[in-house]
Amino acid sequence: MLHRRLYQFLIIYSLGLSGLFLIKYTLNLSNYVIPGPANLWATCREVWLRYFFDTGDTLAVAIIGHITSTCLAIFVGIVGRQATWVGSFVKVAAYNVQAYPIVALAPIIFILLGDGFISRLLIAAMICYFPILLSVLGIMAEPVVDIEHFYRITGRMRWQLEIKIRAFENMNKLITVIAGSATLAMAGTIVAEFIAANAGIGYSIRIALYQSDLSKILIALFLIGLSLSVYQGLLEFSGYLAKKKWEVPKGGIV
Amino acid sequence: MLLKLDNISFKYPNAETHVFEGLSHHIDEPGFHALFGPSGVGKTSFAKILCNEIKAFTGQIHTEDIETILYSYNLERLPGWSNVGDHIAKITPPSHVEKSEVLVECFGIEKCLNRRFAELSLGQQNRVNLLRYLLQDFNVLIMDESLANVDELTREKIILKVKEMFPDIIFLYISHNIVEVSKFCRQILVFRSIPKNPQTLLVKGQDLAMGQTLTKKDHELTMLEIMNAS
Repeated sequence: MLHRRLYQFLIIYSLGLSGLFLIKYTLNLSNYVIPGPANLWATCREVWLRYFFDTGDTLAVAIIGHITSTCLAIFVGIVGRQATWVGSFVKVAAYNVQAYPIVALAPIIFILLGDGFISRLLIAAMICYFPILLSVLGIMAEPVVDIEHFYRITGRMRWQLEIKIRAFENMNKLITVIAGSATLAMAGTIVAEFIAANAGIGYSIRIALYQSDLSKILIALFLIGLSLSVYQGLLEFSGYLAKKKWEVPKGGIV
Repeated sequence: MLLKLDNISFKYPNAETHVFEGLSHHIDEPGFHALFGPSGVGKTSFAKILCNEIKAFTGQIHTEDIETILYSYNLERLPGWSNVGDHIAKITPPSHVEKSEVLVECFGIEKCLNRRFAELSLGQQNRVNLLRYLLQDFNVLIMDESLANVDELTREKIILKVKEMFPDIIFLYISHNIVEVSKFCRQILVFRSIPKNPQTLLVKGQDLAMGQTLTKKDHELTMLEIMNAS
């Protein structure tokens, strides 16, 4: 899983970079517009260590935001699954609020909370929260009738069992949604840093943008993609391990 | 023991025609009672009304000495986090453990106990599913195609054993197998499609029990009666 994520990223990044070089040499563009391989290598040697730690900083914020929003979305999804008025209210509220672009709220957050860690974390969490919530709500509100029927009709159904059945039956979907939303958490953190923060790889990209230095931006993109691929690969692998541990092995227990 | 349905009518929301209208029927003795008829005439809807899964109907249901009505059907699954044996052990009340052992042997599912439900054949899955219902406390069990995909000999063995072990229970047996319902059921409520009037007809079955024999002629007569009624 992890290696697949990594080589997929490397293929896409190489294709993108090759495309840029193709444009550069076809149109005979200067190094100022699109840097050549030598420039890129020189910039990489110059900034990689600083960018590496910046990316680590951003990833750490994204991971904390991602975990926070996943926990919150699961909690709200479990409450919202019910066919009661509370459940309906939560569902309608979630669908309506998610329609509003969270990035548009970022300036307000920076004005109120300043440009530190909390603002970045809040934006990262908010951006990945709603997609996870909508998926968890969809999964938790959908009965697995063929399994649940027995427990219901015999009076054995408890809310914990209901959640367990629905989570187990939709484990692959949940893993995919959680791993997929990691990209959103990272994007949210970078956007926050890009807008107003004073740390992280987004902040470094902003500076590189002011300097019109595409090499630095390409190095930053490489590190962002690499770190995100590792995080998503680890998430998928953890999901795979959890699923394997939870279900009965094939062929039964002898 | 009485299960009486009075003037029951039901139609699906937004549907123009009733699934059934003004249906009345009563069962006042335990044993196997069949619901028979072509697909789509309302056998399953009728069963779901009885076990309170469908509430949007008109008419009255009266029960006497009936506390629990269970409904089992042939597409049910067991959760994938435990094997068949563990699941059965978990859902079996302590007072029914002995019964469980007898039924496991009769149902021929000893070899399935260590395996995942999803790995079993359809016939094995249906037997496992029916078995877990039989291990509950109930007065009425609706078996909606619960023995589908099970071979004829095993099915016969299971039905005769269930009749012997549960003499005080009402079983409502939904099946499309005319040979089976005529042979094993006390009475057969034949559902007919909507233009036909009356919508249901009652036919007396042969109600074969363990150790009894059935003459071919009697069996054929009952089958003919069911076919004429449907």
